[in-house]
Amino acid sequence: MLLEAEGIVKAFGSFRAVDQASLVVAENELIGLIGPNGAGKSTFFNCLAGDTRPTSGTIRFRGQEITRLSPDRHARLGLARTFQVPIVFAGMTVRENVMVGALLRHPHRRRAAAEADELLHFTGLAERAEMPVTALGTSGRKRVEIARALATEPRLLLLDEALAGLTSSEVEAAIELVERIHARGVTLIVVEHIMEVIHRLTERVLVFHQGRVIAEGTPAEVTADPTVIAAYLGRRRRRAR
Amino acid sequence: MIPLRRAWPVAVLVILAIAPFLTANPFYQRVAALVVLAAISASAWNVIGGYAGQISFGHSIYFGIGAYASLLLFGRFGLPPIAGAPLGIVASFVVSLIIGPPTFRLRGHYFSMGTFAIAALAEILVVNWKFAGGAIGLMGPAMPRSLADLLFRNSLPYYAIFLAVLALLLALTHLMQRSRMGFYLRAIGAGERAAESLGVPVQRYKLYALLISGAFTALAGSLYAVMIGFVDPESGFGILISVNMVVIAALGGVGTLFGPLAGAIILVPLQETTNALLGGSGTGAAYVAYGLIIMLIARFSPGGLAELWPLINRNGRRRAA
Amino acid sequence: MILLQLVSDGLQLGAVYALFSSGLTLIWGMMNVMNFAHGQFVMLAMYVAFFCFTLLKVGPAFFVPLAAVGLFGFGVVVYLLLVRHVMRGPMLAQIISTFGLALVLQYSALWAFSANFVSLPTTLVGGVYDLGGVRLSAARLLAGATAIALTAGMHLLLTRTDLGSRMLAVSEDRVAAALVGIRPDPMQALAWGLGAAATGVAGGLIALFFYVSPDVGNSFTLLAFVTVCLGGFGSVPGALLAGLVIGVVESFSAYWLGPATKDVVVYGLFVALLWVRPQGMFGRA
Repeated sequence: MLLEAEGIVKAFGSFRAVDQASLVVAENELIGLIGPNGAGKSTFFNCLAGDTRPTSGTIRFRGQEITRLSPDRHARLGLARTFQVPIVFAGMTVRENVMVGALLRHPHRRRAAAEADELLHFTGLAERAEMPVTALGTSGRKRVEIARALATEPRLLLLDEALAGLTSSEVEAAIELVERIHARGVTLIVVEHIMEVIHRLTERVLVFHQGRVIAEGTPAEVTADPTVIAAYLGRRRRRAR
Repeated sequence: MIPLRRAWPVAVLVILAIAPFLTANPFYQRVAALVVLAAISASAWNVIGGYAGQISFGHSIYFGIGAYASLLLFGRFGLPPIAGAPLGIVASFVVSLIIGPPTFRLRGHYFSMGTFAIAALAEILVVNWKFAGGAIGLMGPAMPRSLADLLFRNSLPYYAIFLAVLALLLALTHLMQRSRMGFYLRAIGAGERAAESLGVPVQRYKLYALLISGAFTALAGSLYAVMIGFVDPESGFGILISVNMVVIAALGGVGTLFGPLAGAIILVPLQETTNALLGGSGTGAAYVAYGLIIMLIARFSPGGLAELWPLINRNGRRRAA
Repeated sequence: MILLQLVSDGLQLGAVYALFSSGLTLIWGMMNVMNFAHGQFVMLAMYVAFFCFTLLKVGPAFFVPLAAVGLFGFGVVVYLLLVRHVMRGPMLAQIISTFGLALVLQYSALWAFSANFVSLPTTLVGGVYDLGGVRLSAARLLAGATAIALTAGMHLLLTRTDLGSRMLAVSEDRVAAALVGIRPDPMQALAWGLGAAATGVAGGLIALFFYVSPDVGNSFTLLAFVTVCLGGFGSVPGALLAGLVIGVVESFSAYWLGPATKDVVVYGLFVALLWVRPQGMFGRA
């Protein structure tokens, strides 16, 4: 198994943001985490990435326990992530942003620049390589984050709402990008709001509700699950009306 | 274009190397030496404050350590003051290792507050430290006993020594800027959480930056003591010593190679002239001007003059990757 | 008996610390901007008190409210001209902007008023009460009581009034507040005004029993940092409690270790706090 998270609990005082969540990921899977706002999926995600230390539970990555390792150790071991609200390195160009990721495996600047260029090409940013990263909009910044994370040569990539805030044409391009990343042999866990995206992309989905995993299965299975409909989709429909 | 861009830093250094020799006026020569000295400490601050984005108001500690190391070795053991430079550098490493790890857990404003408090604490401790002269401070040699005392009537030899140190520091900074460390420090300054997620060992790199920055600031302190021959708690450990470094770097442009030097070339003569013209109370006027300059930079051009440069120079600064 | 005396001295002084620190914590809580010129605000208010007395021959009933109003206006101006523009800029700009302000205020004061220490006559609010052997000076008592009343008032304003909840809404989420029709700028200007006004009152009160000089500001800035840090950033009741604690710590260390080292104890406490619980004390969860 690539990643095994077992009985993860994250408590803030008496409030359990994540309550006994478990997840097993095999090499080359593409897994979705869904759930309404505040369901705990982001906290769970941050536990996997090492940004938050779980109150209890263990996480193993390629057989090694990583529960309490710092985020930079996660990256070193091959577990990369993006952020819900992109954090780009202002004051650097697009290429330099990606080079920061590439320098992890290629300490030499020229080599890192070459790696970065390959990934800028892959993510469709090649023409904007020389631009200051702050000149990019949300969609461009999300791509920079993905390119930067890929530059660390991860085995597993965690994407936190990589599609949120994009226009519908940008969403199309982003879905296509995620598919190409998967085709490169990178295992993916995506947190996503848009059900349609989950349907198209993922093979297996975990549904969070009030900190717990209330359902797991193929997108078709979970959307047919009455508990899920009650907790999540039902709410959505009500709102839509 | 490229050869020209490569050449201009060299041109700057050449101009700096000969400039003060063109005048016989001792006031100008002294100001020139002080400009280069201020550029050393501001460039040293720039490593941690500019590149790594950790706005320290505590660098007076390092400056004071260097200055006191020099004059303590002279005053207590009769050694030439410059012998204090290596001692000051070693002491700066110790201080960095002690205050670095706890303060680096603080981010943004908190880091500035923490370093500000530590520097204030250090100043009070030195005032109460009898061995180091307490509130009165320490004196250097009045007459040169040998060349090693580096006591010159004229400022030009100091100028030459300072310039050599500055050139060394800028060369190191230049190498760092192009290396992995430079990228990592800039990434930490721009977004610590993201840098961490890309495998940057943030705390370790901050510590590296502080060690380099502190060592050169301590060296600047030693050189100051050698030239001026006097230090007291205020001129060694005072908060204004830290402020000077921050303002000079911020005016020229933080996180740029030549920003602090540019800032020193503008501010130090301004300060020295006001002091000379207005006498004792002139210090006050100079710092009112300092404060106004800081506020104007913060308000209109947080990147300092380096930010305005591309507007003046059409070619802009196309960063070589 | 000496213990009681020290505690009561410390509490009276601490109440004043609490008042100007609550001004700082209000500003911090509202917009995550640290005011490095906070101690200089105190210094300004102290000079207002001093000149009111020496030039106009008026007492605290006049100059304390005047300092409050004056500093309110000053706080609003600082917000509108400086802070508003830098608060969403780079960290460097946020931090150095108020530091620059501190320099301007301190050295303008040095220029205008000279470096001399001046003070109000101790008889201005005269009288010493003896309460079973514990001596209470009327000036400190007045300062302490006013400070506690106003700190409590500020807390009530924030938690119990419509205006307070609007201000808190802006501090929680500017954009969301704007969406429900609260304009953030006036609210934040008001926070700066109120924070500065509280500092003005505190400065006017401190002037009753503390010397004034252009460089008193820095130590007040650090005191406010310590207090706000100990009390929890953004919390007015926390600042009150922490102010009282620090007043007592100061009065004890001044007695046992001598007045020169009391600052060492207070700053040392601050450094220790940073060391022990940087996240816990600082992080707004």
